[in-house]
Amino acid sequence: MIDRIHALRSEIEQYTIEYEDQLEQFRLEYLSRNGKIQSMFKEMGTVAPDERAQVGKLMNETKNLAQARFQEAKDLLDQQVADSFSTLEDISLPVQPSANGTLHPLSIVQREIKQIFYRLGFTIAHGPELEDDFHNFTALNFPPDHPARDMQDTFFVRKSNSEADLVLRTHTSPVQIRLLKEHKPPVRAIMPGRVFRNESVTAKSYFQFHQVEGLYVDKHVTMAALIDTLIKFVKMMYGKDVKYQVRPSFFPFTEPSIEMDIWWDHKDGGRWLEILGAGMVDPNVLQAVNIDPEEYRGFAFGMGVDRIALLRYGMDDIRTLYENDTRFLEQFH
Amino acid sequence: MLISKNWLSEHMDLSGNSDEEIAGKLTMIGLEVDEIIHRGSDFRHFSVGYIKEVSAHPNADKLRLCMVDLGDDIVQIVCGAPNVAAGQFVPVARPGAVIPRDMPDGSKLIIKKSKLRGEVSNGMICSEAELELGQDHSGIMVLGHQLADSIHSSDSSEAVFSLKPGLPLTSVVGSTADTVFDIALTPNRPDAASHLGVARDLGAALDVSVTHGYIEPQGSEGSDGSDGSENSKVAANNRSNGIAIQISDTQKCTRYVAVSIEGVTIKPSPDWLKHRLESIGLRSVNNVVDVTNYILHDIGQPLHAFDLDQVRGSAIHVQSFDKKVSFTTLDGVERDVPADTLFICDDEGPVAIAGVMGGENSEVTNQTSRILIESAWFAPSAVRRAAKSLSLQTDSSYRFERGIDPAMQAKAALKAAEMIQELAGGVISESYTDLIVSPFEIKEVDLRPARVNQILGTDLSSAEIQQILNRLNIKTVVDRKDQQREEGYIHCEIPSYRPDIEREIDLIEEVGRIYDYNKIPSPEMSVFVDSSPLPEWERFVERMRDTAVRLGFREIAGNSLLSRKEASAWLDSNLLIDTLNPVSHETTTLRPTLAAGFLRNASFNVNRRNRSNRFFEIGSIFQKATEDKPGKWIPSVLERTSMLLGISGIRSEETWNSSETPFTLFDIKSDFMAFLQQTGLSDSVSEVVLSPRELQYHMGPHEIARLTSPAPEVLSEFGLEKSPTYFIEIDLTVLFDTKKVTRDVRFKKIPKFPSFEFDAAFIVNQEVRAGEMVETIRTCELPSLKNIQVFDLYEGDSIGKGKKSVAFRLTFLDPLKTMNINDVEPSVKTIETALMQKYQAKLRSE
Repeated sequence: MIDRIHALRSEIEQYTIEYEDQLEQFRLEYLSRNGKIQSMFKEMGTVAPDERAQVGKLMNETKNLAQARFQEAKDLLDQQVADSFSTLEDISLPVQPSANGTLHPLSIVQREIKQIFYRLGFTIAHGPELEDDFHNFTALNFPPDHPARDMQDTFFVRKSNSEADLVLRTHTSPVQIRLLKEHKPPVRAIMPGRVFRNESVTAKSYFQFHQVEGLYVDKHVTMAALIDTLIKFVKMMYGKDVKYQVRPSFFPFTEPSIEMDIWWDHKDGGRWLEILGAGMVDPNVLQAVNIDPEEYRGFAFGMGVDRIALLRYGMDDIRTLYENDTRFLEQFH
Repeated sequence: MLISKNWLSEHMDLSGNSDEEIAGKLTMIGLEVDEIIHRGSDFRHFSVGYIKEVSAHPNADKLRLCMVDLGDDIVQIVCGAPNVAAGQFVPVARPGAVIPRDMPDGSKLIIKKSKLRGEVSNGMICSEAELELGQDHSGIMVLGHQLADSIHSSDSSEAVFSLKPGLPLTSVVGSTADTVFDIALTPNRPDAASHLGVARDLGAALDVSVTHGYIEPQGSEGSDGSDGSENSKVAANNRSNGIAIQISDTQKCTRYVAVSIEGVTIKPSPDWLKHRLESIGLRSVNNVVDVTNYILHDIGQPLHAFDLDQVRGSAIHVQSFDKKVSFTTLDGVERDVPADTLFICDDEGPVAIAGVMGGENSEVTNQTSRILIESAWFAPSAVRRAAKSLSLQTDSSYRFERGIDPAMQAKAALKAAEMIQELAGGVISESYTDLIVSPFEIKEVDLRPARVNQILGTDLSSAEIQQILNRLNIKTVVDRKDQQREEGYIHCEIPSYRPDIEREIDLIEEVGRIYDYNKIPSPEMSVFVDSSPLPEWERFVERMRDTAVRLGFREIAGNSLLSRKEASAWLDSNLLIDTLNPVSHETTTLRPTLAAGFLRNASFNVNRRNRSNRFFEIGSIFQKATEDKPGKWIPSVLERTSMLLGISGIRSEETWNSSETPFTLFDIKSDFMAFLQQTGLSDSVSEVVLSPRELQYHMGPHEIARLTSPAPEVLSEFGLEKSPTYFIEIDLTVLFDTKKVTRDVRFKKIPKFPSFEFDAAFIVNQEVRAGEMVETIRTCELPSLKNIQVFDLYEGDSIGKGKKSVAFRLTFLDPLKTMNINDVEPSVKTIETALMQKYQAKLRSE
């Protein structure tokens, strides 16, 4: 009897239960009323009394073993059922991304420039894109026969060679004039915006582009402060280690005038790249807005946003900026 | 503008400066060097070789084997030239040599020891052309007596060589190496538009003295201190060899110098002169024309040489005409020259357009033997107008336009005459004409040293400032009387060649420029604190931009200019604003809307298979202002900032869980509702149906936005007929002016009690708009009604023909208690009554 129980035990231990029907088979074979365990309990009467306690204990252990095996196998099979899924419940199915919003690279660069100048204590001002001659040229000390006043350089909307002529502004500098007409110094602001030049559309030129102008007018403004401000700007914009130089230049509305270059590393050695023009506000400009140049001085600077964006993102065709191809726009996240 | 280093070296000693140092210095004083170009050769690795023996090449008929003595060695060189022969001294390029002439593909040939058809060649025997020493490329250059005409005229008299094998080639032909600087000249610096001008500025920066051979003839005024009156050979009067000069337009010409030379022989220029001109990209013409070009580029004074035999009559007239003149310039082009252009005329008519170009009728030719040299001062504006109207910019007009030195005319003319006499023979006339209408006056400008430091932020002493100015040939005097004043004045005399220096500030720029802006010490930068917030407009616009991005739109940047046809589809043509000078017919008119640009961009993308497009743009739009509503900036122009949200194509592609979903109008409407929520405007905006394709949104009396479903014709014009497209354009200027959009957020208590929803369906006629019903319900002003949603629409025979059922889900909320059906019943009654009165709506009972 004891041997038979041991045999039954190892039979139970080795029973293979991988499928639902095997589990049922197991139950019928061992755990049902007519199963092998119950049948053996029925034989308890034939066991010698001195063995009865030992056999009873073994039988109970065997029954527990069978029940444990059954439960374990059942749990496993239930788990397997839970892991299965229908075709549409497959969570690995690919999906399309939700609609994404993006800023245009010109906005990204403009914002970056704005943030830097906000940190340097500048506020911001705006003016119209369609300007009059007075603000775009005359007040900015452009002589009457300056080439920029030619039809071949500037878009005119009205032209009778007077200060009331209307032009698409050729730079953001007229906002300086509007600002100084409205506000007494100290004035310290940047002026971003769209500007226009009568140029045909090529990889390198476009009839519209964007500038950020800066102006600071106060009693003790110096060229040294201008250069210091510009150095702080290029370090914030291009990194602390940026290499820069300042050299003389010419603009009608500043005197002295300078341009700033930064060193642009390139696979064939690198070169100086002009990134902005600047200077001390010409006394004639201050006089045009009734500010005494003996009492007040100012500096001004201006830079091209499109050009900075092309450099920053390694683009070589300015038209890409205005085609608005989604495959272009989605790159700026 | 090209400037040759060798040419500069005629005026100053540059031996101690590398090309890069010179270029860097020029850039740092405002003469920006765009490019450094290396020309010619210093003939490194070139030697004189002696051909000892010539034999046939075993494997090639046209090649020969030469045994060449190079002094230190005798080597074999393969040569293909027909004229190679034993006993010749020849130029030999040895391994490592770079052949001056470019290869056909633009690259440089570097000589290496090699094998040609199996035979070793230890170098190359060169032709004149390969060395760029002449044009001859028919065979190798044979060194010998012909070298007497060496490339340096100064050397020619002593060109006696004892040729020896192994001599460096430079000892025979000299070096032709030159460096050319391409300078981007700013318009304020006419003084630097010549080699002498650049030398003067560079000399000031390097503190190196600058010399030139131009001397003032007797009786004339000099301005730069040189006084050569003793050397002048001819005397000034108003006749030059019988030719009288008359200036009738004295506004446009203030000085005219004429010198004549008789008996010249026109021939090619000597090599040195050719090389000078070729180094800066000019073509050599003949000895006389080359001299005038040389002087122009040497000192910046344009000259013109007339064939005196072709000048009709006995006088030169400097005059303008009050009508258009047809005139053939020496480039053979017949030009219509506008009235009021200044001409140089003989007794019968024009012979040159003053300052721009001479005429074909008086051009110097190979037959010319008598010439008249013109050296004049023409008014910049007159020459600029002439050159511009003719679209003809010449080296001469370029300089006159910017303003040439008014003290140079006589000096330049005499120098030219002397050079022509030297190169072309002939006799300079005994007398020359120097007609001065109004003598120029030396400009005097006062400078306060304190002001220099105030502007630049420097700490320069008066002496340091004067030192810089003196280096620029600006004479300075500190007047004793002035010195007693609190701030001293430096009294400055401006050189005649600097028309740009007129004011104190101009002198300050000169000081800063030569001092070097990079050396200005960094100030202890005063922190600038501005306590005022950023302007509201800026914050408003950027907030709108962020809102659109948050709603999942991609920002685009469209063109501000459209074709007139495109623009007139959106606004009454009379209100459109055109440019007078468009670049193309595609960009004539300022955009009156952002819609056209959006449709164009949508089309661009749809054509490139970008099928789901959600775009926004913020930008200026333009139209003419009406009298009752003038523009903010320019009274006649209404320039507003607009914002467009647009969708085109499909909302989602076909995927496993959905079929392809095209955009519908309700998608953009839904985006706009989200926009209103984001901007806190949901409660203040009302909707009006303008047409089946247009919705208008109002805030009080102002239209702030218009939603459009473009007509099929419009879509097909843009190729969008298969791409459902909708947009809404929001007038940010008006929206901002209503001041309703603020960043002020006031916390409202979150309701403690749940809301109560009540569904009510109404049967109305088909033509009643659901939106109007919502608007009507809203105007009942029921305080507890929080939301109105249309959740079901039904039409069918059961409710009658021409009828529809609109089912509303009404959400009520009372902050003080939980509502039940009894609480909302009176409100529902009010709604029912309102809808019944307005639309004869009947409550639909199930």
